[in-house]
Amino acid sequence: MTEFLQQIVNGLTLGSLYALIAVGYTVVYGIVQLINFAHGEVFMIGAFGALATWTVLFKGQTGLWVLPIMVLGAVLVSVLTAVVMERIAYRPLRGAPRLAPLITAIGISVFLQEAVRLFYPGAKSKLTFPEIEVVTGSALSIGGLQIQRAAIFTVGALVVSAVLLWFFVNRTRLGQGMQAVSQDPDTAQLMGINVNRIIVIAFAVGAALAAIAGVAQGLLNSNIDFRMGFLAGLKAFTAAVLGGIGNIQGAVVGGLTLGIAESMATQFIPGQFGGSAWKDVWAFVLLILVLVFRPQGLLGARVVDRA
Amino acid sequence: MSTSTTDLTPDHDDHEAVPLLERMPGRGSAAAWPLALVGAALLIAGSFLSWSFPDDVLGDLSVNFYPNGLQLCVVALGIAAVIFLLAYRGPLSRLGDWLDAASALRWIGLGAVIYMAATIIAIGWQTGAILNVNPGGWITLIGALLLLAGSLMLVSRNTRDPLFAKTSSWFEIITIIVLLALVLFGAAYALGLEDAVSFALFLLFAGMLSMALTKAGVFTWLGVVSQKNRQVLMFGAFAVAFLFPFTQGGSDENMSIATQVLIFAATALGLNIVVGLAGLLDLGYIAFLGAGAYVGAILSNSAFATIGWKPPFIVVVLIGALVSAILGLIIGSPTLRVSGDYLAIVTLAFGEIFRFTMGNLDGNNGPDLTNGPNGIPAIPDLKFGSFDFGQPHEVFGITLGRFANYYFLLLVIAAFIIFVFIRLNNSRIGRGWVAIREDEKAAEAMGVNVFGLKLFAFAGGAFLAGMAGTVKAHHDVSVTPDQYIFLESAFLLAAVVLGGMGTVAGVLVGATILKLLPEKLRFIADYRLMIFGLVLVLMMRFRPEGLIASQRRKLEFHHDDEDLAQRIEEVHLEEAEAKA
Amino acid sequence: MAQRSVMTVGASLLVASLALAGCGDRGDETSGTGDTGGDAKVAKIGVIAPLSGDLSALGKGIQHSVELAVKQANDSKAIPGWTLEVEAVDDEGKAEVGKNGATKLAADDQIVGVVGNLNSSVSQQTQPVFAAANITQISPANTGPSLTRGADGNTRPYKTFFRTCTTDIAQGGFAAKFLIEQGIKTVATIHDKKTYGQGLVQYFTEAYKAAGGTVVAAETINPDESNYAPVVSKVAPSKPGAVFYGGEYPQAGPLSKQMKAGGLNVPLMGGDGIYDPKFIELAGSTSNNDLATSVGEPTENTEAGKKFLAEYEAAKFAEPAAAYGGYSYDAANAIIEALKTSLKDAEDAKSARQATVDAVGKVSFDGVTGKVSFDEFGDTLVKVITGYKVEGGKWASVKSENVS
Repeated sequence: MTEFLQQIVNGLTLGSLYALIAVGYTVVYGIVQLINFAHGEVFMIGAFGALATWTVLFKGQTGLWVLPIMVLGAVLVSVLTAVVMERIAYRPLRGAPRLAPLITAIGISVFLQEAVRLFYPGAKSKLTFPEIEVVTGSALSIGGLQIQRAAIFTVGALVVSAVLLWFFVNRTRLGQGMQAVSQDPDTAQLMGINVNRIIVIAFAVGAALAAIAGVAQGLLNSNIDFRMGFLAGLKAFTAAVLGGIGNIQGAVVGGLTLGIAESMATQFIPGQFGGSAWKDVWAFVLLILVLVFRPQGLLGARVVDRA
Repeated sequence: MSTSTTDLTPDHDDHEAVPLLERMPGRGSAAAWPLALVGAALLIAGSFLSWSFPDDVLGDLSVNFYPNGLQLCVVALGIAAVIFLLAYRGPLSRLGDWLDAASALRWIGLGAVIYMAATIIAIGWQTGAILNVNPGGWITLIGALLLLAGSLMLVSRNTRDPLFAKTSSWFEIITIIVLLALVLFGAAYALGLEDAVSFALFLLFAGMLSMALTKAGVFTWLGVVSQKNRQVLMFGAFAVAFLFPFTQGGSDENMSIATQVLIFAATALGLNIVVGLAGLLDLGYIAFLGAGAYVGAILSNSAFATIGWKPPFIVVVLIGALVSAILGLIIGSPTLRVSGDYLAIVTLAFGEIFRFTMGNLDGNNGPDLTNGPNGIPAIPDLKFGSFDFGQPHEVFGITLGRFANYYFLLLVIAAFIIFVFIRLNNSRIGRGWVAIREDEKAAEAMGVNVFGLKLFAFAGGAFLAGMAGTVKAHHDVSVTPDQYIFLESAFLLAAVVLGGMGTVAGVLVGATILKLLPEKLRFIADYRLMIFGLVLVLMMRFRPEGLIASQRRKLEFHHDDEDLAQRIEEVHLEEAEAKA
Repeated sequence: MAQRSVMTVGASLLVASLALAGCGDRGDETSGTGDTGGDAKVAKIGVIAPLSGDLSALGKGIQHSVELAVKQANDSKAIPGWTLEVEAVDDEGKAEVGKNGATKLAADDQIVGVVGNLNSSVSQQTQPVFAAANITQISPANTGPSLTRGADGNTRPYKTFFRTCTTDIAQGGFAAKFLIEQGIKTVATIHDKKTYGQGLVQYFTEAYKAAGGTVVAAETINPDESNYAPVVSKVAPSKPGAVFYGGEYPQAGPLSKQMKAGGLNVPLMGGDGIYDPKFIELAGSTSNNDLATSVGEPTENTEAGKKFLAEYEAAKFAEPAAAYGGYSYDAANAIIEALKTSLKDAEDAKSARQATVDAVGKVSFDGVTGKVSFDEFGDTLVKVITGYKVEGGKWASVKSENVS
């Protein structure tokens, strides 16, 4: 039983990470029907932004108070990357055949990874992420369960972000504009909504959450590297599809489901095909099954059949 | 000669460029032509003089009246400029009725200026002082500048579309042969250049000259000619490819690159069936090559092979191709339900599953089949009877090394794949694929077996890639999972996109560029992936149809180009007339 | 009518192409004369190691140590009539890249011997390439036994491969004994499935069980992974006294940290692959009491080692000698020693390759890490292993032993 609960905890941690990234896929897809394949790289750049902030401003500090500033640094860098990417690479391709933006996204993805590898000092190998008091260090033991401190930060970050995002989408003018554009861009435009601005905001919102996830992963794994975005991005996309792409609640639900499924696969699939060696395979099998048999996802996609 | 066709000016100048050009001072003045001629003359004359004082820069540019390769390239540019000038006004002016000489001259001028500037900078940089540039270099640069200035002042003549030029067939065939010989020679020369700067300069020369010929309309005409003489072209191209190892003097260095290009191109051609013809985006294609390679390795004589069965190689090729094709069927089966972006993601997921699985099947996490991340090393060279692929062989007094042996084998496979590709493309199946690509629902309504054809595209492409994979295993000596990562799939896709989807020549060009340039331009080695990413983005932005695009494909990406649409229609009409 | 002028162009193009065909070989005739004068002939020693990427700290140490040995040989004119040069290529610690690098070295006619690789999984790929070209390969760091003893443990697969460090049979055995001596009787093993990690864990497990210990869990990770929480959670319930990890520090460091953050407060132990300062940097403040074994005595503990380190210091290389500096220096000197006989009457470097392989098998001299000589498998005869412990953020040696 303890093992089961322990893996639930692990799964929720991992799932929160996926969910934070998945929101970015879903928000953008809901509005422009674009799989922003480079979103994983935005997440990676967020982690590097946080590390850079720490290295430049607070090297050697471990107090909890530096964490909000690191997160801020991460968010700034990620949002900037995402907005520039939208403006330079994606916007000119609106209305182009669907192959074009996907290939562009792969190009951006490779470009960003390499840019970080080549130009961030020391990024050719793994970089140590700073240890921050309270959120890193020895595990908390609750009734036989071992809970990583960073895991609490991760789950907490998801909860706070989700609440803020819900408020933003449903209670602010911009958020309502986003909803309008995702339902019918042409009519929204006629109603005086600046569609370009809404799209930029969608990219920015997704990037901000991905940046927070970047910091969380840095704290969890204690190190970051330029390749971390690829697999995380792919998993997060799986989560978005699992929950129903275009659907923000879906992204959260999908992320948590995927995280728990992965942890369970590590622990409970018996024999040679279990264990952590196969968990990624099972995650992708899940992705394929969902895409084939329930493309609208668990909660239903906002936009169905975008072939 | 069907004179009835309208004199449409081909889309020579970019739309933005025209107004800028018209603001050029002295445009249309009588001095333009003589100025350009003087420039061309200086270009040629300057190239026969010494360019640099030290004799160890860029080969040797220091001897008067004995130009080296890089200087001869400028001479070639100069001669081309003179020909176009004479076509513009003078003895060749009939040629100027068909070809846009002024545009071509502008590109030659521009190319010469960039080329000379780069050369002078390189000399200055490598010797540490710009003083080391001899007068010859400066004279040539001035010639290039004059040529550019003169050509910018020239006004393009009204030309007829070279699409409709009629030329005698023996002339066309000779042109093709000369062209192919030039390609062979150029490739051998370029590969022989050890120095990365010289290589880059040669590329610049070749690129600018082809750009000039494109702008003049020569390539439009060549396109028609090569369509008409397809057999000659194909045969000639293979002859060139076959002769290539003999130009290498037994050195294996370039042959190793050439074999890699061939493996890559063969796989990319398979992918081209899926993406280019059937329009199904596959982001996990490298898995098919990998499946073939793993089969090749497991059934080889390697001491690390995990299955005791060692059938003859021809059987291995078939098994590898079949295993790959079965994988293709499995990966293709979701196409019944998913398409577009979702399909791309499904294939990507399959690719990753393949890589993880190959890394896991090591006895610890599953049956021992692949040795896990360590892969299967020490795969012996192929042997056909007494012919050992690992040993050099002497043919006509020229030594052909290990890689040359594999090169010929791969050439045969590539030829087979190209043959299959072309036959499929021109068949009922190929037309079915195009129909699916254009509009799946309409195709289905017209009675095209959509699902069957999609599956066939996946399985067929995978079959061909699997064949290449079995040879790759022996060629590479070892098979490991990290050879089959997502980035490799992205490279394959890039080769298809870069060259031009749905065309054979385009994919060959794309594969060559992607494999050859990083090997030769060592100074960009560390930046090559970054440049690759950037190129993908820029291509999608500015030339989504690829470098060598079929005209039909071009239209798909440029809906609003009425001019292009009309031209394509005319060509089709004329073809139909000719058949009738 | 139009045809005629088109033909004229064709003819001119032909002329142009012929002119182009003149582009050619002149460069060789003039520049070739410069080198063949009275100058010494050149032979190259290749280095193939991870010069970039996660393992570059170790790889750079290998490269510079070889450079030091070659510089000293040139300064003392060890081989009359010849100048030695170092040609370093990067294998990034990856099998595929390593093989391409080896192909490149093998194609260079001046290469007579190679020092490398760092990773056993990479050497597995480079061995056949060098063997086919008859180039001596001496690894300073490959501890995977099958490299010299073949898949069956008793046939030498490649006559060209030697190593100056000992194997995981010795290391695994020592590690098992060392751990028991620390009072730890239960252990969980994790490895990265690569040649080195898998082999090390296998030999460790055999020896550990024989010495009376219990292996309570055996897991694997994917080398390109960085989140080990699932595997930690899976191992933790079996309450091991330590975790024995087969692999290198880029994974071991984060694993150690995540173990402790995940509530598994036991030491992590590994082989020579984790014995590097970078491990402690990645593992952070909770890495105290983590254990490692490494081949040979600590370089700074012996007279010869001190001298080597002083000379290395004096040469002002950008990176430190790291764990394999001494072994690399010895490997390079073994090649140089062999070249003294093989190059003596050789026409050019390429023709001396076979003689070099033969001569390396017979060398015997006192190196930095002890006596340098090879048995019939190409293995070193010195089998000294040292146990280390992290104390106060540094590796401290606990004991050394000759296990032969």
